[in-house]
Amino acid sequence: MEHAVERQDGRTRLKHILAGAVKWILILFFAFYTLFPLLWLLMTSLKTNAEYFANPFSFPMQPQWTNYTSAFTKANLGQMIFNSVTVAVIATALNLLVAAMAAYPLSRFRFRGREAIFLLFSAGIMVPLNALMVPYFTIFSRIGLLDSLNSLRLLYAAIGLPISTFIVRGFMEALPKEIEEAAYIDGCGFFGRFFRIILPLTKTGLVTAGTFQFLTCWNEFVYANLLTSSPGVKTIQIGVRFFTNQFTTDFVSMYAAIIIAIVPSVVGYILFQKQVISGLTSGAVKG
Amino acid sequence: MKVKKQDRAGIFLFLLPALVLFTLFFIVPVGFVASMSLFKWNGITTPEWSGFANYTRILSDKVFWTSMRNNVLWALCACLIQVPLALLMALILSKKPRGWKIFRTVYFLPQVISGIAIASLWQAIYNSEYGLLNGLLKLVGRGDLATNWLGNPKTALTCVLVYSLFYIGYHMVILMAGITDVDECYYEAATIDGANHIQIDLMITIPLIRSSLITSMTLAAIFGLRTFEQVWLLTNGGPANRTSVLVLYLYSQMQNNDYGTANASSMMLILTGALVIALIRGLFSIGRKSSD
Repeated sequence: MEHAVERQDGRTRLKHILAGAVKWILILFFAFYTLFPLLWLLMTSLKTNAEYFANPFSFPMQPQWTNYTSAFTKANLGQMIFNSVTVAVIATALNLLVAAMAAYPLSRFRFRGREAIFLLFSAGIMVPLNALMVPYFTIFSRIGLLDSLNSLRLLYAAIGLPISTFIVRGFMEALPKEIEEAAYIDGCGFFGRFFRIILPLTKTGLVTAGTFQFLTCWNEFVYANLLTSSPGVKTIQIGVRFFTNQFTTDFVSMYAAIIIAIVPSVVGYILFQKQVISGLTSGAVKG
Repeated sequence: MKVKKQDRAGIFLFLLPALVLFTLFFIVPVGFVASMSLFKWNGITTPEWSGFANYTRILSDKVFWTSMRNNVLWALCACLIQVPLALLMALILSKKPRGWKIFRTVYFLPQVISGIAIASLWQAIYNSEYGLLNGLLKLVGRGDLATNWLGNPKTALTCVLVYSLFYIGYHMVILMAGITDVDECYYEAATIDGANHIQIDLMITIPLIRSSLITSMTLAAIFGLRTFEQVWLLTNGGPANRTSVLVLYLYSQMQNNDYGTANASSMMLILTGALVIALIRGLFSIGRKSSD
């Protein structure tokens, strides 16, 4: 009898250990799958092309920082980074302003048409934007904004609008009714309540939506590629492809360019991790 | 708050910019695609009415159907492989094993990196001469399996498709948020009833995060349908159009100044997207009715 209990104990313990092992194998597998290729890329970006061709796994004999300088000088990545920063900053500012303004009435007032706007914006999130290449191209060529960073600023601000509005609205909705009512009784008007009370209290929501929007702008490739052609108005994601052409590929410099394009996103993500994740869960999920 | 008279102008004024931008960049373009798909148009000269000619043309084009098949395959794989994997890891990390926050950070990392950079990375991995994958195979003594992954008709589609399926962070975060919202009392009750972890996950957590699962699957399917960069960069639809997808198909029509047909293709993509969303919601609501 006692024996049987012991055996049972042994079996459950074994099951426990096995389940734990499977769990950790899975956890580590996905971590390895994500990190190993990136670390390999980082290492290769510091090798010479000859070293890379000889053995993809060797460590660089001497770190080739020249790959990075050549990425900056040959591909003009400095200019592209500057372009990407101005596009992302302006598109994010415009996006946040418009989204916050829309979120205020949508979250704190009941009026006719409110549900219709929600429905429209939800549908907007689901539209495959890549299917709108022809109209976007045509619109921007008609208004003479083709091959200009302004087209990207405007487009990015617009396409991120539904998600940003949903994120900011979520934060505004959470604010108690009373704060505004007190201000209302004190004679504070619509604009005063928005700018002096609601907006300052929604700072977290704005940072969340802004982080999300900034990353989207920084990483966008399809329309940056479609709407611009001159070297002076290229963004960093286009720079990633600079070292490939039909004749030769300077692999190590290209890898350096990829790392350069990745680093700001990764640093930004680590700094604003909470916002990125809550932006996803509060924006995308409700949308 | 109920709308007071003096607030009406403010509400209107505050909604206006968003509505203008939304109209200009969502409603007008979709309307544009829908109407211009009925014209023969090269983007320069005056469009010529052609009825459904653009549609009949793409519907009889083999490349269109290959692209459509690949898109559907893509959406299905995302829903049936990527989301379940994400669910599995969400269930595991929700129990807060040591270092779970770090792992969540790591899994989510590819999501903040641009699609073009990730695709470039995988191009380097699949490279036939200097790639990481062939290098690894040689390292473990299976150099015979090495191949031109993206050029070989047998492997190209799988290679273009498969790598993103194991980037589960995005869906995992959505599902973990759903799991966090599940009321503790369900778990307490189940533990008192003697349920083990797996039973709790299957019988309680998964049914209760249904709405997160619907969101996740809808997004996975939509992402599958709008795929472009990774195919464009890795194979450009080749070899012999085997790996083409709808966005690439319409992009190449656009490059050929065949705007009318490109619009018809866009319309097919938008309609497929709407159909898929309706289908996922429908499937889940059938599941709900039969379980009630």
